[in-house]
Amino acid sequence: MRVCGKCRVVFLVVLVAFLALLAAPATAEDFNWKKYAGATVKVLFVQHSVSEAIVSKFAEFEAATGIKVDYSITPEANYFDKVATSLSSRTGDPDLFMSGAYQLWDYSSAGFVEDLSAFINDKNKVVPDYDFGDIVKSAADALKWDGVPGHAVGTGPQLGLPLAFEIYSIAYNKRAFEKAGIKVPQTFDELLAACDKLKEWNGQGSYALAIRGARDWGTIHPGYMSTFANFGAVDFAVEGNRLVSKVNSPEAVKMTEFWVDVIKRGGSPSWSRYTWYEAGADLGAGKAAMLFDADNNGVQQNWEGASQEAGNIAWALMPVAKVGDTPHSNYWTWSMAMNSASKNKDAAWYFLMYFTSKGFAEYASVEKNSVDPARTSVWNSEGFGKKMAKQEGYIDTYNKTINSTTILFTPQPYFFETTTEWAATLQDIVAGKYKSVQEGMDSLKVKMDKALEDVEIK
Amino acid sequence: MDNEQKTNVSSQSKNTALDLLGTFGRNLGLTLYALFALFPLVWMIICSLKLDSEMYNTVFVFSPTLDNYKAVLLGTDYFKAFFQNLIVAGGAVILTIVAGVPAAYALARYDFKKKEDLAFQILSFKFAPEILVILPIFTIFQRIGLYDTYFGLIWVYQLITMPLVIWVVRGYFEEISVEIEQAAQLDGYRWFDIFFDILVPLIKPGLVASALLAFIFAWNSFTFPLVLSGFKIQTMTITSLRYIASDTVHYGQVAVASLVAVSPEIIACLFIQKHLVRGLSFGAVKG
Repeated sequence: MRVCGKCRVVFLVVLVAFLALLAAPATAEDFNWKKYAGATVKVLFVQHSVSEAIVSKFAEFEAATGIKVDYSITPEANYFDKVATSLSSRTGDPDLFMSGAYQLWDYSSAGFVEDLSAFINDKNKVVPDYDFGDIVKSAADALKWDGVPGHAVGTGPQLGLPLAFEIYSIAYNKRAFEKAGIKVPQTFDELLAACDKLKEWNGQGSYALAIRGARDWGTIHPGYMSTFANFGAVDFAVEGNRLVSKVNSPEAVKMTEFWVDVIKRGGSPSWSRYTWYEAGADLGAGKAAMLFDADNNGVQQNWEGASQEAGNIAWALMPVAKVGDTPHSNYWTWSMAMNSASKNKDAAWYFLMYFTSKGFAEYASVEKNSVDPARTSVWNSEGFGKKMAKQEGYIDTYNKTINSTTILFTPQPYFFETTTEWAATLQDIVAGKYKSVQEGMDSLKVKMDKALEDVEIK
Repeated sequence: MDNEQKTNVSSQSKNTALDLLGTFGRNLGLTLYALFALFPLVWMIICSLKLDSEMYNTVFVFSPTLDNYKAVLLGTDYFKAFFQNLIVAGGAVILTIVAGVPAAYALARYDFKKKEDLAFQILSFKFAPEILVILPIFTIFQRIGLYDTYFGLIWVYQLITMPLVIWVVRGYFEEISVEIEQAAQLDGYRWFDIFFDILVPLIKPGLVASALLAFIFAWNSFTFPLVLSGFKIQTMTITSLRYIASDTVHYGQVAVASLVAVSPEIIACLFIQKHLVRGLSFGAVKG
């Protein structure tokens, strides 16, 4: 009997697939965690509560896998300088690094980041109870990008896996609102009215709303960008083969006028130097009545004994145009990504899998203080519910916001340049250096377009 | 007592009163300045004794606690970073003195081609922004195995410490008359004896002052240890910022870490205070 060439090929493919299926572990117990025993992975961490939780489990990880971990923890202010230098050397050191999505746009454009899809989709490499679908979908999607400037996140290579994230909402001091006899603002108009009513609510120096204002990109991405989207504005649009800034559109100008009004009527007198921790600290110290920032910022002030106002802080949805509108929140994700030049990719993947698992996520959030877990099962768990019981409205606000949360910036490789310029312009507008908001945003548009003049969409 | 005597007594007592007033004014001024100069240190001590919940709403009246000290000194590996910093900064200064003092002597005493160019080349290392040279150094260190090692850091710290010591000590050598060396040679001293027994004691104020400053620069170095180490070695400058995390800040712990970090510098300054002003004002302007 003669067998044709094509049939042989098909037979071989089926055989290989069958053998691969047989080789894939059927249960979590069958998974060989010791496969890369003896390897060493080097990991760069930023100083964060999730990093502390990971480090506290190293002994357990090393015992389970036989993989040794060398690690370094660096404060965020200088962390990305270290990451960028290390990655650009192409020595393969470190194997893994923590990153935000915005930084991954930059690194992946330079070819420094490994696509994790190959690992995730290989059944032989994934422990059966890993359950990728349990990872908060929008958080996983925020770390996917096809590398084309202007294309939204959510498609393309998986550049990292989320460890924790932030969404944006209002954290408020219940005492302040009781004292003023008003409700927590739900709309833009109510927010402005609350700014007036909460002026000096707790004596001299106290004010209504803490928001970031420092001259860096961090000022734009929390409350400002979320509200920008809620006004229907966008940062860029694709025109032909170019990305064109739209920050001077009527919606963008209207939103910025509103924001400037909020700052002037309800913000801190030192607004222009505020980063997340000054803003959060003012809420905790009883200076600010509200905080429009990362949801976990207020939590760090509300743990028992953490601040003067601990126990008085609660959460509510961010204001929108009219009651019932969907609040669109921007996203920040702390993720773990793999260096494409790593020489220990398989061992590094085991590390990643271990520390993005359900079990670890629950440990980090329930036993440690890493809030905003990247696993849906943890959000729904009894342990997490108990842990956050005193954070009134926190989980409820998350549940009402998460489905409309995504990265609202247009991905592009000059994110930090353009967004820092944006923050500088906002400061200048508030300081009165432009005749009008329109003039300031027109000027910003020109600068943003210039920054992106060499970006061509192919 | 006649009128003249009376006038003298009254003018003397006036002078004494003026002297007293002058002394009082001077002391008051110096006390106020000392309070002003030491206030940051006092403020750090105050912050280090406060709980997070009292950090923003109290100034001088609060319930003092040692919790921050316990958290930093017992709860983390801060002492490890302290000793690693001591090894790296101390090692860098020792290497600088061993290599830099003979280099300074050569630049002061010998005439050779391109001497001034070489001296300025050494000085230029001090002014080169660290971030500018860090990437090639990082790559080279990775390749030759010096990344994350004590020797690697001690070596690269020479960019910070060496120019300072060479330029200050060179000025001192130039101040010393060459006839002293020649006289000693005539008396039968060998070159090494002249160098160590006669010249080194003469340059001591400058050497001590510049070595102390070099130590402070090395101790405070941030960019080099940030990029060139981290897994096995992490210096205090990096570790001190650990208490400012991405999701929470413990200012009390930052204050403790900063107090421990500045203590070697303060102690060293107190010990060699007498050399410091004279040393720098003497040698630094020569050359």
